[in-house]
Amino acid sequence: MLDDRITLTVNGRRVTRPVGANYRLLDFLREELMLTGSKEGCGAGECGTCSVFVDGRLVKSCLMPTLKAEGASIQTVEGLAPRGELTPVQRAFHRTGASQCGYCIPGMVMAATAALRANPEAGIEEIKERLGGNICRCTGYTKIFEAVEIARDVIAGRLPAAALEAEETAGSFIGASVRRIDAPAKVSGALRYAGDTVMPGMLHMAVLRSPHAHARILGIDTAAAAALPGVECVVTAADVPGKDGFGVFVHDQPVMARDRVRYVGEAVAAVAADSVETARHAAALIAVGYAPLPGVFDPAEAMRPGAPVLHDYAPDNLVKHIPIRKGDVAAGFAAADLVIEETFATQQVEHAYLEPEAGLAWVDHDGVVTVLSPSQNITHHRHMLADILALPVNKVRFIMSPVGGGFGGKEDMIYQGMLALAAIRTGRPVRLVFTREESVTSTAKRHPARISYRMGLTREGRITAVSFEMLSDGGAYGMSTEGVMRKAAILSLGPYAIPNLQIDTRGVYTNNTPSGAFRTFGAMQSQFATESMMDIAAGRLGLDPFEIRRRNMMRAGDTTHTGQRLDSCSIGTVLAVAEEFSRWEQGPPAVRGAGRGDTGGPDTRARCTLGARFRSGPAADRQEVA
Amino acid sequence: MEGRWKRGRGVAASWYGIARTATIDRAGAWAELDDGGTAKVVTGVTEIGEGILTVLAQIAADELGVRPEDVTIGDNDTARSPEAAHAGATRQTYMIGNAVALACREARGRLDAVLAEIWGVEAAVIEAFNGEVWARGTNKRMTMREAVDSCKRRGVVPVGAGHFTAHGTGLDPVDGSGAPWQAYVFGAQVAEVEVDTLTGEVQVLGMWAVHDVGRAINPRGVEGQIEGGIVQGLGQALMEDYQTVDGQPVTHGFAKYILPTSLDIPQINCRLVEDPDPKSPLGAKGIGEPALVPTAPAIMNAIHDAIGVRITSLPATPERILAGLAALRAKAIAAAE
Repeated sequence: MLDDRITLTVNGRRVTRPVGANYRLLDFLREELMLTGSKEGCGAGECGTCSVFVDGRLVKSCLMPTLKAEGASIQTVEGLAPRGELTPVQRAFHRTGASQCGYCIPGMVMAATAALRANPEAGIEEIKERLGGNICRCTGYTKIFEAVEIARDVIAGRLPAAALEAEETAGSFIGASVRRIDAPAKVSGALRYAGDTVMPGMLHMAVLRSPHAHARILGIDTAAAAALPGVECVVTAADVPGKDGFGVFVHDQPVMARDRVRYVGEAVAAVAADSVETARHAAALIAVGYAPLPGVFDPAEAMRPGAPVLHDYAPDNLVKHIPIRKGDVAAGFAAADLVIEETFATQQVEHAYLEPEAGLAWVDHDGVVTVLSPSQNITHHRHMLADILALPVNKVRFIMSPVGGGFGGKEDMIYQGMLALAAIRTGRPVRLVFTREESVTSTAKRHPARISYRMGLTREGRITAVSFEMLSDGGAYGMSTEGVMRKAAILSLGPYAIPNLQIDTRGVYTNNTPSGAFRTFGAMQSQFATESMMDIAAGRLGLDPFEIRRRNMMRAGDTTHTGQRLDSCSIGTVLAVAEEFSRWEQGPPAVRGAGRGDTGGPDTRARCTLGARFRSGPAADRQEVA
Repeated sequence: MEGRWKRGRGVAASWYGIARTATIDRAGAWAELDDGGTAKVVTGVTEIGEGILTVLAQIAADELGVRPEDVTIGDNDTARSPEAAHAGATRQTYMIGNAVALACREARGRLDAVLAEIWGVEAAVIEAFNGEVWARGTNKRMTMREAVDSCKRRGVVPVGAGHFTAHGTGLDPVDGSGAPWQAYVFGAQVAEVEVDTLTGEVQVLGMWAVHDVGRAINPRGVEGQIEGGIVQGLGQALMEDYQTVDGQPVTHGFAKYILPTSLDIPQINCRLVEDPDPKSPLGAKGIGEPALVPTAPAIMNAIHDAIGVRITSLPATPERILAGLAALRAKAIAAAE
C-alpha cells in the first residue's frame, strides 16, 4: 500500500520515503520516522497532543495527509533543541512542574512555543487563548501558565536564566519542591508510552465491538477475516483456555463477549495482523449473528421484579448494597427543629486521559506471557490473567508502562487478555492502541448517582439525624462498583459528628457503559449532596456556611459514621485557615451575591472574554488590523 | 449591562481515607546504596502522573544521604520488583513512600555498621546528606562514593528490604461499623463564580483550596495535584456529561464530550495544612483524590449565592442555570399576584 514517495525536511534533515495514501502526517512521523514525541490523543484535531510545526505554522498532524507535506519543513518536539538540550520553554515546564502524566506535554510545549513565537510579549490572557486548542487532563493548566510566563520573561531578558534552574535545597529533601525527575523526558518527547513501543516482528490488533446493548450471540464466523492476507490470527471467547473472567471485585466480565453482549462497545472478537489497516479491515469481515434481547437502561428499573437480568448470579441486578447504621434515626428526627429533604443527581463522567488504552504482549524465551501496558494494577491483573490462561502465576508477567493519565480508568483489565491470547496463538509480539472513540465508549466511567437526602437539625444548627440513600448505575459489568459503593457510603456524610444516621448505597447492573473506578471512588458524589445540604440548612437557619460546619465538625476523640474513634482530626484547622485565606466575609448564604465585599480580589482572575490575542498582538500586527 | 453578571461565593468541606478501603493494605520495596554514591530503589510502582517517582527519589535520598538525582528507580514489573499493589486509592506516597523509607533504613544500617567499625564510633552518630557521610561530634567524614566503596571492600553490599502495612478493617455487614482506614485527611475549598444571567454561563474566577496532607514531601507537587483535582471537579460541576440513549453512547469524542481548557481555569490559591500521621514513619498522608471532592459543591454553593438557584443535578449547564432563573422569576410573579 506504499504507493507514493514523498520528500520533506524533518527537524532539519531531508527525508525521502514511500508513504501510503492513507497516511496522516502523524502516522508518518510516528511509524516511519519513529518520532513518537507527537502523540495521538483524539485523531480528530481536538486535543492538540499531535501538534507540530509545518513551515513554521502550528498544525495538528492528525488532520494533515502526509502527501500534503511534500517539500515542507517539519519541526517536531524532538527537534526544538539539539539532542540532550532543552529550550527555555521546556526548561520552564521542568522548573514549574508543568508536566504530570506528560502525554499532552509535547503538544503543549509546541503550542507554548508557537505562542511565544507569534508574540514574544504575550500577556497571560493571550497565552491562555493560544493554548486553548490543547487539552491537559492532569495539571489544571496552572503550572503550565506559570511556565510559559517564566519562559517568556527569560527569553526577553527580564528574568535571569537562573529562573529556569532548580531551587536550592538545604537540610532535607523532604518538604522541598525538588523538580520532577521524569520531566526532562516528558518535555522533550523522549518518554515512550505503551503505544510508542515497538518490537521486531510486531503485529497490530483491532477489536470488533458490539453494536447492541443486549443481545445473544448466535454465532461468530471468522473465516473471511482469517483468510485475509496479512492476518495472523482471530481470537474470540472460544480461545480462552482457563477460567474466563476479570473485574476488580467480582470477576464477571469475560475477556471477549461469551454467548451474550451486555453493552455497546463490548469486545466480541480481535484480529492480529501485520498492519493496523489490515487488522481493522479483517475485523469488519467478521460476521456475528445477534438475537437482540430487551435491555435495561435505568438503575431503578433494573431493580424492579421482571426487569431483564444481566448476570445469572445476580437475579435482582444488584451488584452491591452497603448499609451503615448508627444511633436511633427516628429519635434523631423527632428531636429536630428543622427537617430538610432534597434529592441530588450526578452524571456519568469520562476519565478522558489523553493517552488512550494501549498495550504490547509477547511470550518470552521461558514461555512467560508478558503484557506491557499502562495498567494501574499489575499485581491483580497478573493473578486474573494467570487464571484466564490456566498458567502458574509466575508464567504471567505484567510491566506497567508510564501511564498517560489514569484517574482509576486503567484499573480494569479490559484489553490485556485479548493481547495475551493473540501473542500465544501467533508466537509474535502484538500491539493494540485504542482509538479515542473506543476509549470513550468501551471503558468505565464515573458512577452516576441519585441521592435522596433527609437531614434533621436543631435551631442552633446541630445535625440530629440523617437518612441518606444513593442509587448508582454500575452498567453492564461489576468492575469497581462494590468498592465505589463502600467508599461512597463510609464518607458520604462528610467530616461531621452525627449521632443518628442511616446510610444505604446500592450499585446495580444495567446495559449502559460500565461505571468503575474514578478519582474519589464515589466520595465526590455523596459528599456533593452533603455539602449542598449544609448550605441549604445554613440558609434556612440564618447561619454562616463556615459556622454551621464548625458546629457539626468531628473533633479528636469523636467516632466516625462507621464508629471508628479518631485520634486526631484537622478539619477545625482546615476550616479556620480556609476562612482566613479566602478573605471570607461572614453571613448566611441568602443570595448575598452583589452585597458581598469579598469578591473580585487580587487572588481571582478576570472574566474570560475572547480576543486577547488580537488586542495585545505586536505593534506591526495591530497596524495591519487597523 | 452590569446587572447581567452576578458574582457569588461558596464553601464546601470534605474528608477522605488514605490507602485501600476496609482492608489491610501492604507495599514492599528494595533499596541499595550503589557504586559512585548512587542508589537503586525497586518497588512496584511507576508514574501515573502524580509525581510518585520524584517523591520516592526524595524519600530515598533523604534516608540514604544521597541526592534525588542519584536515585534510580526500577521499572514496575511483576517479575522483577516486589509487590506494592496498585496505583490508586491515594496510597502511593503513604504505602510505597513508607515502604521505600524502611528499605532505605535497612540499607543505611548496613553501611553505618561498617563505617562505625572503620571510624571506631557508635553507628547512631553517623549522619549522611547530599552525598556526604560523617560522624557527629568528630571530624570523620567521607563522600558517599568512598563510603560505599569502603563497605564493599569489607565484603558488605549495603542493601535493604522493607514493607509497610496499613491496618484497615472490614465493615460489619449489618450496621457497617468498622475502622476502614488508619489515616484520614480533611479539606475545604471556597469558590468564587460569576454567572452570566443572559447566557447561563458560569465562570469560576477563584478557588481557595486548603488541604491537610499530613506532611508535604514535595509542596509544589501537592499543589499540582490540587490544581488538577480542582479542574477535574470544575469539569464535572459545569460541563462534562457522558450520555447514552438506550445504551448507545452519544458523547463519543472530545467534540461532544466537553472538557475544561486553558480558558476555563480560575485563579487557584493553595494552602497546605500539615497534621502528620502518627502511625507511619514519614507522617505523610495523601492528596490525589481528596483534592477534587469539595470542588463541585463549593461551585454549586457559590452559584446559589450569586443568583439564588440551587443546582442539585450536575452539571450546571447554561440550560440548567437559565431554567433555574426562569423558575425563580415565575415564583416571584406568582408571589406578586
